[in-house]
Amino acid sequence: MRVTRVLLALVISLLPLAGPALAHHSFAAEFDAAQRVTLTGVVTKVEWTNPHVWFWVNVKDEATGKIVNWGGEMGSPNALQRQGWTHNMMQAGMVVTFTGSRAKDGGNRVSTNSVTVNGKKLGGASSQGVTP
Amino acid sequence: MVVGRLAGVLAVASVTLLVSLPASAQVRPPKPPDGPRDPAPRLPDGTPNLGRTDPSKGYWAPTQYQDYTAVLVDPKEMPYQPWAKALVDERKASASLLDPQGFCLPPAGPRLMTTPYPLEIVQLPKRIFIIYEGNTHTFREIYMDGRPHPPADTLAPTWKGHSIGRWEGDTLVVDVVGFNEGTWLDMGGKPHTDKMHIVERFTRLDLWTLRYEATIDDPETYTQPWTVRFNIGWDPNGELQEYVCQENNRWLSTATEAVGAKP
Repeated sequence: MRVTRVLLALVISLLPLAGPALAHHSFAAEFDAAQRVTLTGVVTKVEWTNPHVWFWVNVKDEATGKIVNWGGEMGSPNALQRQGWTHNMMQAGMVVTFTGSRAKDGGNRVSTNSVTVNGKKLGGASSQGVTP
Repeated sequence: MVVGRLAGVLAVASVTLLVSLPASAQVRPPKPPDGPRDPAPRLPDGTPNLGRTDPSKGYWAPTQYQDYTAVLVDPKEMPYQPWAKALVDERKASASLLDPQGFCLPPAGPRLMTTPYPLEIVQLPKRIFIIYEGNTHTFREIYMDGRPHPPADTLAPTWKGHSIGRWEGDTLVVDVVGFNEGTWLDMGGKPHTDKMHIVERFTRLDLWTLRYEATIDDPETYTQPWTVRFNIGWDPNGELQEYVCQENNRWLSTATEAVGAKP
């Protein structure tokens, strides 16, 4: 039982690293692979732009009850489209859950490995694992 | 024992995960059909066709390399001059913070063929274009009309240099000089001077495979020429898309603030 749970946790922790990746700048220059976060909140803005798609999400801090706006970086629009995204799939007002690696400067930014939108889990085309 | 078994199960589980996840974001060519490969296509005049066979679709899908360790064929170790080794170490220590590509500036030489974006080779009479979708939405013109490079003292340095090509059998050989010093040769930070001379060899081995080889000669930076060689896969259904890197490059301010400069 306990072994199963440990195994499951380890496998889940490996998942994002196995994901697809794309980059125009170095991952480690901005993000810390050791700081894994999974966040849920309401989308406030989507920038469907190059070189990276960014989306912004209001997330409630469970400890303080304060609402904090987080930014999620993904790959470029062309990369996301090639893996099944469309430009209007995620819109302001939607509730999303996203997983990734936090900015190493402690900022509320995440290199996004996956986003769940409308019950559908999509890759984020993070540069993790491909660039230094 | 239990730990050993757990590790074994875990290894199998993670390998299964790696294999079972869909290939997507980084451009990846489809797996060619089993059995004998279709030969490299040819143009009506018999020249190898490095581009589309169906006029409406198809592109090359490169593999991205952080550096060239996996594809360096000669010599076995990078032959850095001492200053170049020191600079590469510094750039690595900074996690490639100031890589020009992060600022939407174009790469040069073999790095053009290792971006995570597709590319197309378009053959016209007396010239060949390579169109690169990304990093950074750029193109090269390779002169095939037999002209030489301009004299060095009249050739203004440019990002991608001056390219002249010729066929050696079924291999397109491209000679490039006239580079500026603005690019890194890989994300690992390999430098070069404006004396760099690159010879590239493009060979379509079969319908599905482009063999690419580049020899970099820059004696001020490297103690001897070095050669990389790798294959690039064909996606018969690929179509280039727009990629305007400068549109909303938040990295510009993040990186400049990280070094204490104002964007």
